[in-house]
This record gives sequence, structure tokens and C-alpha cells, in this order.
Amino acid sequence: MTALEAVSVYMPPLRIPIESLAGPLGLTDTQVKLFRRFHGLREVSRDPEASLYDLLMKAAAGLDALRGQEHRVRYVLYARTMPVVAPYPVNPLHEVCHALGLDHALAFTVTHQSCASGLLAIDIAGRLLAADTADGPDGQGSGPLALVLAGEKAFTREAQMFTDTTVFGEGASACLVSAFGAHDRLLAYASNVRGEFDSATGENDAQMQREYRPSLAEVMRQALDEAGLTLDDIRVVLPHNVNLVTWQRMCRLLDFPVDRVVLDNVPTSGHVFCADVFVNYQTARERGLLQPGDRYLAAAVGAGGGATFAAMVFEH
Amino acid sequence: MTAQEAGLDPEFRQRVVDTMTAVLARLLDRTEPVTEDMRLMEELDLSSTMGLELMLELEDQLEILVDVELMDPDQTKTVGDMATFVADHSRPG
Repeated sequence: MTALEAVSVYMPPLRIPIESLAGPLGLTDTQVKLFRRFHGLREVSRDPEASLYDLLMKAAAGLDALRGQEHRVRYVLYARTMPVVAPYPVNPLHEVCHALGLDHALAFTVTHQSCASGLLAIDIAGRLLAADTADGPDGQGSGPLALVLAGEKAFTREAQMFTDTTVFGEGASACLVSAFGAHDRLLAYASNVRGEFDSATGENDAQMQREYRPSLAEVMRQALDEAGLTLDDIRVVLPHNVNLVTWQRMCRLLDFPVDRVVLDNVPTSGHVFCADVFVNYQTARERGLLQPGDRYLAAAVGAGGGATFAAMVFEH
Repeated sequence: MTAQEAGLDPEFRQRVVDTMTAVLARLLDRTEPVTEDMRLMEELDLSSTMGLELMLELEDQLEILVDVELMDPDQTKTVGDMATFVADHSRPG
């Protein structure tokens, strides 16, 4: 069963107040007030000195479990919100693989589900590894691994803000995935792609706003059903950091206590692209919110060229 | 449930209604009057983002803080419903 062997996160120390983004992003006073008052977005993380390569390397540097196990890594997946993040022929993913001694691994990017691509990458990694180990675990704990990377530079206006919804923060995560691990086992994954919710045309924006929370609630319940669990079995929810009010309202819809949704990073980091779930996983660990055997839900919505609603259930 | 049944201060609720209808008319760029019985989403086409902007304006103008996280879309379908919610779930700001 797919499992998260280890997770490492890099969050830059610099925080930019939301007000200082008003000029560069052309935000009105009302938009800034909305972000701060209701969306709970006070500041965002930035690392102006770091390139995308630097961000990813800083996350991978904390992955102690990778040291000495590089030969076991067969796949490197880079989960991304933005389809394009570097000019040809620059390829930060290949540079990271080279620097980590992973030139032998098959490296590719997972995108087109926007901020839900992180969960998709975990699912793909798990399925690839499972196909490679059809005979089951080797019993020696030396089976193949996949490295899943996430995190981006907020380098264009589109990569800095989703209008009236969220602002993006810089940071990165690195996650080692195995097919038969004992840590953080993946119990279920559910996703729903709604191609008609295309922000480029904006034609169905109103419908998407209406259906956003019910659609996310639906995939969360679907993942729980597949895992044979209910919300009562869930210790914490690891959300995407879209904003606070969305999750406060989600909790009312789900009848789930909002204090069990790890929202700590929303006001201080913003929406860290596909890395949110991993950033919030680390926060949950640091706060002692997860004990062995606890089940938790990760949830994300990717909005852009179509929308994807996704949820995963794990057992810690 | 009527405002009276909810135990609300009718005077305050009326102030919320008056402010809300004026703000909505401006936000929606509407020349016809906005009335209490109008449905916010279906009739006035109010998006959730615009709904938050409405709350922000109400907070500023009435000097209150609204507990928006407690808002239930099923119970705030009309302008009047929303005014009742705001009157019932706000405190001096």
C-alpha cells in the first residue's frame, strides 16, 4: 500500500504583508481588506534570492531518509500548479535530479490539475511503484521509491494571486513515497475533474463559486467511503491553503470542527501551490496532532483550466 | 423565522436592511430598487466574493463585526434572510 516514507518542507523566513502586494498586483483597498478580514490572508512567504531550483533543493535537503537510498528512487515527480515555470531549455527538475544523484530516475512533471496536482502525483507515484512490485514487498525494506516534489516561485501576476480568492506563497516540499511503507499509508484517493469550470473563459465562475464547497465535500466523503471510514474517524484535515473563510464554511457544511483543520499556515504563508498539504502535514506533526494509527484527510482544489476537487485519506 | 421570533432588535435589523439594499444596488450597479424579498443568488446574481464585499461594507458602515463563518447558504437566500443573519450574528466592531 502506498505510503509516505518521509516528508520535508522548506518555508522561507521572509514574510510580505498583503498590503505591500496591492501596488504590484493592482489590488483595490477593498480587495486587500477582503483578503485580510475574511480570507485570513495577512502575509505571504517569499524568497527573493532563491530560484525555483533553490526552493526544491532546500526542501529535498531536509529529506534525511533519502541519504544513501538514492539508488532505490525510480521516479521523481514534480507536482505543479503552473504549466510553465522556466524558459526553455532551463529545466529545474532535471537540475534537482542531477544534484541529488538521481539522474537514473524517470523524472516528469504532473500538472493540469493545478493545485490538486500534488495529490495526483502521490497517487501516480504509488501506482507506478505498485506496478513495479507486483510480487509484494521484498521483506528487506529495500523496495523502490519515488520522490514527489512540489512548490513554485510566485513569478507572474497569475502565479501570485487568484483574483479575490487567494494569494500564493513561495515554499517547497519533498516527499519520499514507497509501495509498502508503514508510515502514513494511503487508504483512499478520490478526485473529480470539472473541465467546465475554466477560469480562462470565466463563463462558469458563478456556478463554480456555488458548487466549490459541495464538490469538495463530495470527494472528501467519497474518499472516506472508499476507506470504509466516516468523518468521525478523522483526526485532522490537511487543507489546501486557499483561505480561511472557505474552510470555515466547509466545516459547517461537513459538520466537522474547524479547530481540527490545520489552518495555521494560511495567515502567514498563503497558498503554497501544490505543497500546502505537505506543509500542513509537517505543522500537524510539529504540533503533535497525529499519533500512530490516526487517520487524516488531505484535501485540495485545483482551479485554472478546469477545476479538480481531490481528497486522500491516510493512516499515520 | 421572522426577526421578531428570532429575538432581534427590529430597529437594528431595519438599519441592516436599509444599508444592505443601498450597498447591493451600488455593488450590482442596479437602478431598480433592491427589496427584502429578493433572492441574492438566483435573482440578484450575487457571487460569494461579492457577498463578502457586501459584508465588508456592512461592517464598515454599521461599525460591526459579522461572524461570516457561521453563515449558512440555505438560511440566507433572500436579502431579508441575510439582514436577519447579520443582525443576529454581529457584534460592535
